[in-house]
Amino acid sequence: MKRLVMGNEAVAMGALKAGMTFFAAYPITPASEIMHVLAEKEGEISFVHAEDEIASIHLAIGASLAGRKALTSTSGPGMSLKQEGIGLAHMMEVPLVIVNVQRVGPSTGMPTLPAQGDLIQARHGSHGDYLPIVFYPCTITECYRYTIEAFNAAEDSRSPVILLLDGYLAHLSETVDLSRIKVPIQPRRFKPLGGGHRHFTGLLEKGGIPHTKDTAYYREWYRRIKTKMLKTADNYRFCSYHEHPESDTLLIAYGIAARVISPLKARYSVFTPITMFPLLDEELQEASARHARVIVVEMNDGQYRGEVQKVLKREVESLPVLGGTIHLNEIKEKLDAL
Amino acid sequence: MHYKDYVKWVRMPSTWCGGCAIGIVFKQVTFTLADMGMPRKDLVVVSGIGCSGRAAGYFNVDSVHVTHGRAIPVAEGIKRGNPKLKVLVFSGDGDLMGIGGNHLIHAARRDIDLTVVCIDNEIYGMTGGQMAPTTRRGSKTLTSLYGSTYYPINIQGIITSNPRHFYARGSAFRINHLQKCIRQALEWKGFAFVDAVSYCIENYGRRLGFKSSHEMLDKIREGYKINPDPVERLQPNELGIVKNDD
Repeated sequence: MKRLVMGNEAVAMGALKAGMTFFAAYPITPASEIMHVLAEKEGEISFVHAEDEIASIHLAIGASLAGRKALTSTSGPGMSLKQEGIGLAHMMEVPLVIVNVQRVGPSTGMPTLPAQGDLIQARHGSHGDYLPIVFYPCTITECYRYTIEAFNAAEDSRSPVILLLDGYLAHLSETVDLSRIKVPIQPRRFKPLGGGHRHFTGLLEKGGIPHTKDTAYYREWYRRIKTKMLKTADNYRFCSYHEHPESDTLLIAYGIAARVISPLKARYSVFTPITMFPLLDEELQEASARHARVIVVEMNDGQYRGEVQKVLKREVESLPVLGGTIHLNEIKEKLDAL
Repeated sequence: MHYKDYVKWVRMPSTWCGGCAIGIVFKQVTFTLADMGMPRKDLVVVSGIGCSGRAAGYFNVDSVHVTHGRAIPVAEGIKRGNPKLKVLVFSGDGDLMGIGGNHLIHAARRDIDLTVVCIDNEIYGMTGGQMAPTTRRGSKTLTSLYGSTYYPINIQGIITSNPRHFYARGSAFRINHLQKCIRQALEWKGFAFVDAVSYCIENYGRRLGFKSSHEMLDKIREGYKINPDPVERLQPNELGIVKNDD
């Protein structure tokens, strides 16, 4: 049945569809509607309005270890606080999903206007080396679909998966029929806590015993984690590509920026990544191969441009639309001026 | 069950210094579990960071050793994730009351069914001996070189400010009493906090002029007496249990 659904609501519905039964969060605009929708399900799911952002991610980690599919949602300021928990979940290999509805930063910034400035934070926010899987949908049906895929990727990779949204997308309402979207759902595979003598720790460990002075083992461990993440992520390469036969320019945009520039498909080729990390290297290379110019349009100062440039090893232009507002006319003018 | 069944012997010897109080309290927990006949499959132990944070891995049950200060929220997540489990938090005063203070306040307020055993040695031992929230006024540490100018945290007041509460203070010297505190805490339905008065010889006691851990233990023996009566408030030099099941 078709009905009007908001981005945040679609995320909450997708999480429920994926089998999420534990939710902990702290209120923050523009992510709070995810909490509001899930608060109605208290009883069916375990719902915690935690004392802070740090508690909410650690609650989710605990619940996930106890066998629940867990979700936490936040915006930039809260995401900064959650980095500690994200690192812990990577180290202990705990599946969970973190939604970050981006707003203008740093710090409290321009509450609560939308931005896309947390992209590199999603990749590198916690300390140490790790490889997160990050999705960024750009329509309401995609918010629903990729929330389910985020849970699937989390279960498959046993890692915390980040779903990025922006304030626009989170508060955008579209008439959609979500019941028509069918995504296979990955069940929980590893044994929940209780009944064993396993030891989960934030330390480097081997068979439950800390190995904190063993460089050779750390290198071996990291190789295993990296291989696991890259191999799992290979099953989650999502993007869309519209090729304009006469255009020599490829526009790359994601999230709300991709929605705003969609009329430009009449003039340009457009590539929209949904899997932001690990980078869609092959897809980006293929899409850019026959284009003389590659321009990344994003609501930050060229964060994804830098990543694309690394993959393509050629000049990639940046068209930053710094946070707050985004207009097609402004982008058109800037494109003509480039 | 025997207390040895709750110890993960493959992890011994422990990381703790000779004469450390954490081992004493750890052993009282395992004695209590054995006395209660706690099935190992029903128990999960969570700890944070610090010397006492290492304890989780020494229990022969499924255990989680998390980031600094976050033992309580992870434990709460586990309890909510599977309410059938008995979840024990074993950590230190700096971890639980300092960096994790906010979680302690709110888990106690929500009256989550957790048992918290806190090694209260009044110092950050693992990092070398810096002032903790529990350090006494006037005490010299690495970060209060001229003596701490602050009063220590009133953890009894924080826990017992909730209408329904369980707060016990035991010591590493009065081990039978400590076992009683731990047992009642484990049997309590709701948030139960056991403040285990301990000491750190290597990174605190030495600087205070103690010659050995035995001298510190003696000091605890002299400094605290057991109050067996049901009271609303323990005096600073009393060991006992304060609870209200309203």
